[in-house]
Amino acid sequence: MNAVARVPTVQVRREIAAPAAELFDAFLDPDKLSVWMRPGDTSRTDARVDPRVGGAFEIVMHTPKGSVPHTGAYQEITRPRRLVFTWNSPYAGNHGSLVTVDFNPKGNSTEVVITHERLPSEEMATAHTGGWTSILERIAGIFAEVRAAG
Amino acid sequence: MDRVLGAIADPTRRAILARLAESDARVTELASAFPISLNSVSKHVRKLEAAGLVRRDVRGRDHVLSLNAAPLSEAADWIAHYQRFWEESLAALDEFTTGKKPNRRSRK
Repeated sequence: MNAVARVPTVQVRREIAAPAAELFDAFLDPDKLSVWMRPGDTSRTDARVDPRVGGAFEIVMHTPKGSVPHTGAYQEITRPRRLVFTWNSPYAGNHGSLVTVDFNPKGNSTEVVITHERLPSEEMATAHTGGWTSILERIAGIFAEVRAAG
Repeated sequence: MDRVLGAIADPTRRAILARLAESDARVTELASAFPISLNSVSKHVRKLEAAGLVRRDVRGRDHVLSLNAAPLSEAADWIAHYQRFWEESLAALDEFTTGKKPNRRSRK
């Protein structure tokens, strides 16, 4: 049940045969993080974590093309249901994006839902609630129109 | 990319882009299609130009505007990058917690 009316920008979900608390902890424990968070051609990950609201993290992913630092701060830590943190990386333009991770228990499994929203700085300056949330979806819509027209 | 996001955050500018996706247009043609002044339309067009989304081609006295979708694809690239990033991360988290090689299937 996803009753929250949000507009996703990037949303990925996966059902994993493990308890929510175990998965939740894997996001906040630097030793665990450095083992599993190796997307793509990442050969090694270093993680430093200050797991409290307002606390910062730094996750450095080492790839053949160089080291990619990811930094951010925790905005919400509701064990074992929801984790919200800001996310900065050279790829993201080194300013705000926001990641929400929801852990939904499903029998013996847990559905993990990651929602990653880009926060345009121009919008953030004047943001009121939800003002920016649909922007990326609009891009996608316009992009689709453009392609359809082309 | 911020300029792109700022440029398309406004409904009138999105409508202008949608109009230019159909065909090139003069500023005056655009103005007649929207219930706002020529001056307002010009301001919006300048923002779209600054974001690289609209090109202006001066042909004699006419200024013909055309759409340049390339900056939008940068935004689309961002989406594609992180879609893959998190799918791969969740697959790895699955493998880490369940101790078995998960299949690569992930639902959207």
